[in-house]
Amino acid sequence: MFRFSLNKITASILFILFCSSFTLAQQKARITSSSGEEIPYATIQLENGKIIKTDIDGKFDLDIAMRNKRFQISALGYQSNWYYLSENDTIKEFRLKEEINDLDPVVVTGNYEPQSARNSVYQVRSIEKKTIQNRASTSIQEALNTQLGIRFSQDNALGSSNLELLGLSGQNVKILIDGVPMVGRQGTSNEININQIDINRIERIEIVEGPMSVVYGADALAGVINIITKKDLGNKWSVMARIQEETVGVEYQPFTSKGNHIRSISGNLGIEKWNFGASFSQNNFGGWKGEKTGRDYEWLPKEQFFMNLSASWTGKSIYTDYQLDYLDETVFSYGADARFEILDQNFITSRWMHRLSGRWESSNSFGLTWQGAYTNYSRDSETWVTNVYSGERYLSQAEGVNATIHYQGFTWRMMADWKSGNNLRLNPGIDINLEKGAGERIDSNDGIQDYAVFLSADWTPSPNVSVKPGLRKTWNSAYDAPPIIPSINTKWNLSDQLAIRFAYANGFRAPSTRELYFNFFDASHSITGNPNLEAETSNSINGSLDWKKQVFEGVQLKTIVGGFYNDISNRIAYAQDPENIQVTTLINVDKYKTTGITIGENLSMKNWNFNLGFSYIGRYNQLSQEESDLPIFVWTPEITSDISYQIRPWKTTASLFYKWTGSLPGYEISIDENENTKPKEIELDGYQWMDLTFKKEIGTNLNVHLGIKNLFNITQINSSSESGAAHSTGSQRPIGYGRSYFLGLTYQLKN
Amino acid sequence: MKHDRLLPICLLFIGAGLFTSCNDDSAPIVIPPDETGLIEVNGGGATFPNTAFIKLRSSEQTAVKRDDWDLAFYSGSDFKVLINGTTGAMASATGKTSLDEVGTEEVSAAESTGKLVLSFTNLESILHVDDPANPLNKPIIAPISASDDENEVYLLNRGSSGASERTWKKIKITRNGSGYLLEHADADGSSSSTLEISKNDSDNFVYVSFENGIVEVEPAKEDWDIAWTAGTSSTPFPQASNGILAYFFQDLVYHNIYGGTTAVEVLEEDIPYENFLFSDIASLTFNSDNRLTIGSSWRGGGGPNSTPAVLEDRYYIVKDSEDNYYKLRFLSLTKDGERGRPSFEYELINSGL
Repeated sequence: MFRFSLNKITASILFILFCSSFTLAQQKARITSSSGEEIPYATIQLENGKIIKTDIDGKFDLDIAMRNKRFQISALGYQSNWYYLSENDTIKEFRLKEEINDLDPVVVTGNYEPQSARNSVYQVRSIEKKTIQNRASTSIQEALNTQLGIRFSQDNALGSSNLELLGLSGQNVKILIDGVPMVGRQGTSNEININQIDINRIERIEIVEGPMSVVYGADALAGVINIITKKDLGNKWSVMARIQEETVGVEYQPFTSKGNHIRSISGNLGIEKWNFGASFSQNNFGGWKGEKTGRDYEWLPKEQFFMNLSASWTGKSIYTDYQLDYLDETVFSYGADARFEILDQNFITSRWMHRLSGRWESSNSFGLTWQGAYTNYSRDSETWVTNVYSGERYLSQAEGVNATIHYQGFTWRMMADWKSGNNLRLNPGIDINLEKGAGERIDSNDGIQDYAVFLSADWTPSPNVSVKPGLRKTWNSAYDAPPIIPSINTKWNLSDQLAIRFAYANGFRAPSTRELYFNFFDASHSITGNPNLEAETSNSINGSLDWKKQVFEGVQLKTIVGGFYNDISNRIAYAQDPENIQVTTLINVDKYKTTGITIGENLSMKNWNFNLGFSYIGRYNQLSQEESDLPIFVWTPEITSDISYQIRPWKTTASLFYKWTGSLPGYEISIDENENTKPKEIELDGYQWMDLTFKKEIGTNLNVHLGIKNLFNITQINSSSESGAAHSTGSQRPIGYGRSYFLGLTYQLKN
Repeated sequence: MKHDRLLPICLLFIGAGLFTSCNDDSAPIVIPPDETGLIEVNGGGATFPNTAFIKLRSSEQTAVKRDDWDLAFYSGSDFKVLINGTTGAMASATGKTSLDEVGTEEVSAAESTGKLVLSFTNLESILHVDDPANPLNKPIIAPISASDDENEVYLLNRGSSGASERTWKKIKITRNGSGYLLEHADADGSSSSTLEISKNDSDNFVYVSFENGIVEVEPAKEDWDIAWTAGTSSTPFPQASNGILAYFFQDLVYHNIYGGTTAVEVLEEDIPYENFLFSDIASLTFNSDNRLTIGSSWRGGGGPNSTPAVLEDRYYIVKDSEDNYYKLRFLSLTKDGERGRPSFEYELINSGL
């Protein structure tokens, strides 16, 4: 059969052919989309060059002349396909699959099965493997840092970074790997560290903005980042290898120590119904000294090792897949020179994640999917002492100096798909999440057990309208979960080019193990968690307009305009314990809001692909509650752009990634010259980021990547805040480590 | 503890005396001061449980739990009593002169304002503590009057800064001949106890615990020079009463102002530590009435934005009660990475012998 695309979409049924007529004479046939809608003005081209067009209803005359010949059907937005009809074939409906390319990728988040982003009732952003590869990203952060509405703040004391999505902090974003929630929210930010995922395993990253708590439960309040990993099911065998060498600013040494060194090898083997895969990656980051002169670093050196082993089985109606992911990460925090003892800290993370997923199609009208995982996550802080007098270096045995935090998580999700009639699909599901955290400064606890049932329906009253209401009921052992979580998502296709989406949803963020059970008392700290915390809840609305048009032959323009409003109540914040004012604890006290608009523009022409994005996001000004003359929101603009150009004769793709992050204003309480407290306007400076990359194909198997990251040579930005963020130094916030250069090779062989 | 340490030394001297008994036996035994020293302070670890008193000339230290005591009765000629600043204790006068007149009403009034709790939100904290720099100069408990009726009952929070919270007390102190009489009870209780305290000439203070009566805390007044402790300090803060906020600091270093020790800070940029000569003393003014000369100044950082560290740009000259001059600099806040175990080194620059 004609091979039309290299995109490896999960095994879905390509064409369903209907038989109903035995008439050989001229008859009406129709061309429809995979969802059954007629495609008007499709083109049927016969081998002899003759062209037939379908009418406005997608119908055409199936001429006797078309028998025993090959002909091609094509239509804008659909994949062209060749057919061959013998005299006896009685087909009168031809189904075309929606075109799947960068402009209209397949997404799975929030849905029962993969579908095109354009058809999804959710507004899903998808960052494809090709983009990640063109950019030669070494981490997920690098793949996302020019995305609209996403910003990172660097915690250089711990060598980690924190995420923000559309004005909401990373603890409100659910991080999924193939739909399975990651375990191990850590630090004061309660965040999953997304850089602890192997970039080389990623097929694409799907981002859904807005609450997804009905489907994904706790913490899917700002949205969901679903990391879809590669599944090389289509191949008999394949081998992939990658090596990349990168400077860290001007610091570099080949293959080891200074610089950023990426190595990865993976392969898979298909044996009948089985497919086995293995992958190993190593990321060694040599750290960045910057202004530091002694032993310590501005950006801490880091070593990561990843392993993935997988086995999958594809039967007639069952597909099941087991994956084992292992992570070992060490961050080296070198202490400054000292007179008596030098203290170095190693932060060692280890994670084992076993995943089992699969689907079962019992019939056309009933199916089942499941995703389960067991995660064992630990983070150790080791303190190494160098005695300056004796020169000895040893692991400290002092009490409380070495800390371990350990999480075990079990999750099991099951979702059924039941087609009831032509225009209703029901997706009931269960979701079980068990988590137990233990460690220094964490009170012993019974863990957090969370059981939920959810039901969503996909109702299509007319071919152009889909309505997806959903409900979730949660029982939680540790905190008061909101009783019932509703959501409703709607999509209305005004025309082939124009679609409108509108959604209302409740979201919630669960208090973390740390927030519930943290306990830290010494001579100057009195901080305790609060086991009586409730979940933070939100009301959210968002809507978008999606317009796509072929302006000229081969020139396609796509525009998405979106808006959102989130209103969060019961927000967890630090406060004095009402029963003992010397103790700081957490209570559900604050409120928070975000609102904003985003505009995305895509233009694609023969060799060009051009994206332009703009967002204007308002973050709630907490001080406006007391000071009514202060604005309720403070606003930040962002502009992103990426351009890629294929220089076909050279088999080279040039890409430019750009983002301007506007300054982030805010208010804080300060003391004026008369020693009165009053709100003061503060600002975190804006900055620009740009990467320029080239990818050249040499033969069919080898790609060479080279380029420059952080062209504007950004290292840090200034904040006029006097209070400062934890772990930052003074008023400077680290952003990057300066202009860096890279050269990489990827090699792929498959059969 | 102090006695345990002295015992072998005494035995040694006795032994030495036996062997040298054929010589003139009336000559005093002169022990030369230690020339150099490195002290790893036994602060007890990350919860900072101890106060450590250090005698430089013999490189000795005495560690005492901070919450072992509640009140310190001055042994000098004045009749003054201190509360335990090393646990963040606070007190207020009640205006009453009999323990029976003070009870739940006063306690709940004080509790509702939070004025007897040492915290950053208590802006009048400085009004309820002994002067952190020179407590005898401005103790929270008024000097004990010879006339019993003038001595008020005080409400006392025994301090819960790095110490477990304990029931508040009400106390009344009067003179008892040349000593003191302490009457105390739980602040909301009725059964009171009394304790007689005599002054002791060889000590700065006589220490009292409500549970254990008279307790050993501070070595004899000439037997220590500096002490490391967590304790109540003060900092200028415009919104606070008198523009000063009392707060709790983990790494305070006092010098023994009541035992004749004086101290002064020197910056490396003025005279490098290595080059300091006895002749440089003339340019320095030694401090004899502010025990916080070293105080918190030797440590930088701390708070949410930075890890605390020894400030390497300064050192101190300490003169002990026997006129030995030492230069002293801090080395570390930790031992094996554990906080609450700082270390410092010192060198004799001139012996008082």
